[in-house]
Amino acid sequence: MFPLKAADIKKVQLGNGLLVIGLEYHKLPLVNITVMVKRGSARDPAGKEGLADLTAEMVTLGTEGRNSQQLALEMEQVGARYSASSGQDASYVEVVGLSDAFPTLMDLLGDMLLQPTFPQEEMQQSQQRRISRLIQQRDQTEVIADEIVVQRLLEGTPYAHPAYGTIPSLGGLSAGDPRSFYCRHYSPGETVLLAIGDLTPEEIRQRAEGLLGDWKGEGRVEDQLPAPAKPTGRRIIAVNRPDLTQSQIRVGLLGIKRKDADYIPFKVMNYIFGGGGFSSRLMQRIRAERGYTYGISSAFQAGRITGPFIISTFTPTATTVAASEEILIVMEEFIAKGAQAQELEEAKRFLMGSFPLRLETPGQMAGELLKLELYDIPFDYLSSYPTAIGKVTLDEVNSLASAYLLPEALILVVVGRVEEFLEPLRSWGEVEVVEYSEMTKGSFPPSTSKHASTTCGS
Amino acid sequence: MKRANKGTKGSVSFHPLTPYGYDDIVRVVMQKITVAFQRDQLPNGLKILTLEDPSHPIVSYQVHFATGSRNEVPGITGISHLFEHMMFRGSKELGPEEFARLIQANGGTLNAFTTIDNTSYFENLPADRLELAIRLEAERLANLSLNQESLATEREVVRSERKLRTVNSPFGLLIEQLFAIAFDQHPYQWPVIGWDHDLRGLTLEDCLAYYRRGYAPNNAVVVIVGAFKREEALALVEKYYGHLKPQTPVEAPPAQERPQRGERRSFYKKVSQLEAFFAGFHCPGIRDPDVFPLLALSHILSHGKSSRFYLRFVKTGKAVEAQVDADPPPFWSMDPGLLQVYAIAAPGVPIGDLEKEVWEAIEEIKEGRFDEAELAKARQGLIASFIMGLQSVFFKGLAGGLYEIKAGACGTINTVLDKLEAITIEGVKRVAQRYLIEDNRTVVTLKPITPEENEGLELVE
Repeated sequence: MFPLKAADIKKVQLGNGLLVIGLEYHKLPLVNITVMVKRGSARDPAGKEGLADLTAEMVTLGTEGRNSQQLALEMEQVGARYSASSGQDASYVEVVGLSDAFPTLMDLLGDMLLQPTFPQEEMQQSQQRRISRLIQQRDQTEVIADEIVVQRLLEGTPYAHPAYGTIPSLGGLSAGDPRSFYCRHYSPGETVLLAIGDLTPEEIRQRAEGLLGDWKGEGRVEDQLPAPAKPTGRRIIAVNRPDLTQSQIRVGLLGIKRKDADYIPFKVMNYIFGGGGFSSRLMQRIRAERGYTYGISSAFQAGRITGPFIISTFTPTATTVAASEEILIVMEEFIAKGAQAQELEEAKRFLMGSFPLRLETPGQMAGELLKLELYDIPFDYLSSYPTAIGKVTLDEVNSLASAYLLPEALILVVVGRVEEFLEPLRSWGEVEVVEYSEMTKGSFPPSTSKHASTTCGS
Repeated sequence: MKRANKGTKGSVSFHPLTPYGYDDIVRVVMQKITVAFQRDQLPNGLKILTLEDPSHPIVSYQVHFATGSRNEVPGITGISHLFEHMMFRGSKELGPEEFARLIQANGGTLNAFTTIDNTSYFENLPADRLELAIRLEAERLANLSLNQESLATEREVVRSERKLRTVNSPFGLLIEQLFAIAFDQHPYQWPVIGWDHDLRGLTLEDCLAYYRRGYAPNNAVVVIVGAFKREEALALVEKYYGHLKPQTPVEAPPAQERPQRGERRSFYKKVSQLEAFFAGFHCPGIRDPDVFPLLALSHILSHGKSSRFYLRFVKTGKAVEAQVDADPPPFWSMDPGLLQVYAIAAPGVPIGDLEKEVWEAIEEIKEGRFDEAELAKARQGLIASFIMGLQSVFFKGLAGGLYEIKAGACGTINTVLDKLEAITIEGVKRVAQRYLIEDNRTVVTLKPITPEENEGLELVE
């Protein structure tokens, strides 16, 4: 089973273009099946943010032969769990269960994928559930901070909004929207079915062929995605929630695309800077030495377009400015003095050594393989990864730090009791203050709508 | 079952079991799964559980201490967890946070967690680095360096953690209040993270006393799961831990909760978009057989998209969430704890109406208004979840260690499937009638206020 080799992963393309990936796993009588359609929230039409994600759920809420309750019952009677959602670049229906139930689970999945009926009542309920959840989410200040920093960093691209949409955009969806999204974007040529479990690849292929082989649909549409504009100075956004005793802080920078040649060195640089837990500079300084926070980290998201590179932390109100300034100091020190040889060595040893820990369970393997498939990275990445990490040099790390850690061109978002830190924050630059109470407004209940067609058509 | 014995040798093994039918629409697991821990003990009392699984080149090394917030007393609440943080602040050989750095530099991941019942440390690492984890864990156990500077830093780190998890989270303070009201004797009344005033007051002497009392070999269970050789690992544990002296055993908390006679109800005001209630019913501890029908009850009510709460409250838009929260063993509480029931009302839905309907849904179970097919679905879901919990060496190790500490025997894990299969309609009805009654209930209701109103209330830390 490990090292996971490209040769162990059986890939078959069906006549209609659908890709079937099978991997044997015989340690436990389990199976993990994921259908990935390579269209996600980046395809949400303007003003209809959240549509891809809602469409994915709608696929599971009624078919020609089964209503949503029957689907749920049949899945759960065999002990399975399922979910459907969208990320930015793809939509997923995932089923995990006992391998004995594989034929049943595949039947249900095939039914959902090919025969969804998008019932209007289900649509209205889903809209309402989603809006209610987003209203509740306004009380999760870490989510508010995440949303704002990404939105400001990626403004002008289809990646700026959260996949789950916004309260007004969800409220404005029409009854026919999920079907339109499905008809336009769900097609065999854009779909991957991955099954990992106590099965043979042949069983997986046969089932997939039988259920999905006749699915017709258009092929891939290539399109240009706009790149985000680099921040030119410091933008500071303070969201006022005076009842908080601790501030959420985000420092937003731009990172890289998944296919950038710098992807591997970037991982190493990020580990040293803020991705490496207690081995990272941010954690060492801001938690271990200063005690400002329980947690701080940096993370980058590399997709089809340049993604965000974000430093996230939280600190009691009184240390908001001190912690933010310390982040800048850690950035500046990294740029000025670079990484040390020992830091580089340890980062590489961690990334190489911990690789098997990331590929132990079917769920982990499925996640890794689908990410590779989504971004057209050959599976031999799995065997070449340690070597690629091993080759990273100090010069590469240091030049990436200088190119991407830009203390003068960033977005700072702070959610907290603004009056306590507004004045000192102004020494950073102009501060845009957003009243939290303004953010909680939105249309509710959702507008109920209009005519919906019942089939895909031109 | 195909290829029943392939993949692993000796550790997780499958044995055929007579097929077992509930009815024709429900499929069942056709094999028995055994998690074959071996149990050894050093003369100083340290227990060692080993489970070889050579199928993947990693190993999980865990040290579980039978001490958690249930072993605290008022005035030092939160010390178990704060002390857990201090374990990363250096020892004779290691500087602050160097433990973590060394494990990571060897390809490992690590963490620790504290619960009401236990404090656990773990490293998941490449199989050939097992000795490093054993050596470093023994080093900090024997030679921890405790000093004022580290305590001052970690105190603030933990207070930040408390603000994150509890004070500034949507419902943390409600749940804290629920336990504080439901228990007036037993230590489960205070939160694992501790009251802020206690965190501020904890001293180095408190830490030293806690260290001496709880961190003794006879109060610990070492667990090793993964690709390693048992004999070699035992020799290493003996080498690094053998010299440690046992201490006076930690006593169980003296306080037993008195039976509740009558509902306890309270309100909590906080800035919130929505109304919610959190309720708790006193229920038995992990060793009680009623745990299993209670799990089925929670499954029938609120697990999955075909569950009663989902269909009645969530799907229809009455509640954002409605849940019966039962931590499956080994995460179930050691002493009698609370079965929690909570619901977050959708905008415009009065919380009182929602609460009433939740109790109505529970009444239906008490009246036995569910059939064998619905129970079979719950059983099957619980069985699948149990098997899914065995996918990683880390979770297998956790199960062994926690069962050993909380239920007295790691082998308890091998009784779970039988107990799940033995759940009956009568059993579920009986536990619902016995525990889910108004007199045994504590309810905290969230009263949303505006930020302006919040300014007029005392600050909570």
